[in-house]
Amino acid sequence: MNWDLLAVALLAGVANWAFRVLPTMARTDRLAPGGRLERFLAATGPAAIATLFVASVLPAVTIDVAGLLPFAIGTLAVCAVWVARRSVVGATLAGAVLHGVSVWALG
Amino acid sequence: MTRICPPSLTAFPDGLTASLPIAMGYFPIAFSFGVAATRAGFSAGEAFALSLIIYAGASQFLALALLTSGAPVLISAFTLIAMNLRHVLYGPALMRAAGNEASTRRAWIWAFGLTDEVFGQALGALARGQPFSEPYMFGLGLGAYASWLAGTAAGAIAGGGALDGWPAVNAGLGFMLPALFLALLLSILTRAAVPVIAVAGLATVAGTLAISATSGILLGMVAGAITGVLRR
Repeated sequence: MNWDLLAVALLAGVANWAFRVLPTMARTDRLAPGGRLERFLAATGPAAIATLFVASVLPAVTIDVAGLLPFAIGTLAVCAVWVARRSVVGATLAGAVLHGVSVWALG
Repeated sequence: MTRICPPSLTAFPDGLTASLPIAMGYFPIAFSFGVAATRAGFSAGEAFALSLIIYAGASQFLALALLTSGAPVLISAFTLIAMNLRHVLYGPALMRAAGNEASTRRAWIWAFGLTDEVFGQALGALARGQPFSEPYMFGLGLGAYASWLAGTAAGAIAGGGALDGWPAVNAGLGFMLPALFLALLLSILTRAAVPVIAVAGLATVAGTLAISATSGILLGMVAGAITGVLRR
């Protein structure tokens, strides 16, 4: 076992656990009901999801121009299935399948 | 908003089912990590240990780069810690949406699974009216974690090039997480959230192009959340 790797993993892992668990258990969201902290936390969810979506698609649209059409087809499939079924799982799977099929079809 | 969790025998399996798209998206990424770790000279056991203990994709890839470049242990660890600082916001944001009555008695175990994707999926479920439940959170987190560990092990054992002969499958699996985030975004979309989403997206692009992907993510989240504070 590489001891440097284990030490880095343990330090980062313990910090990750603390970042995810302690604020949850401390219920810091209750500190200032109706105040700025509450509005900040309420906006964090939509902001985080928007951020993660943009961050996950940026490499596809900035590096691989040839991948734009499959990306567009996958995106449209997600939107179409969401509008029709209101299912996150269904929309996600449909988007991934059509993206993969379009990559295969376009060679 | 207060939702009291009704006792439900299906909450845990429901959480596992909801983790399916995350698990399918995680597997190929973790697979790539396992391959990258063995290519960098680490054993399959060491690759698995990184996934088991750290459980944060981007910082695990960064850990490989830092460790193979000979960076000091403390510098490496603090770099990884700084990279995951955004996770501090997830628990409070989730519990605010869950309501005052929501229990966090077992959060010491399920909240470790609050990755970006698990947080997004859980928040989306609450936004769609599903009551908060710790067994659901445990199922959701466990499915994602198991997939991450299985993918790492498979990648470390298989070595490089395993999916090279299947580009369409590779592409479809690679699109799983963007598709999930888009579906989640649609599920929480309201008129009030539009400015927050727009500012977060623009700040992410600006931060990523000007500084780095990690800075872009942090900047996007903070800018979007501040927009929410400024709007009344």
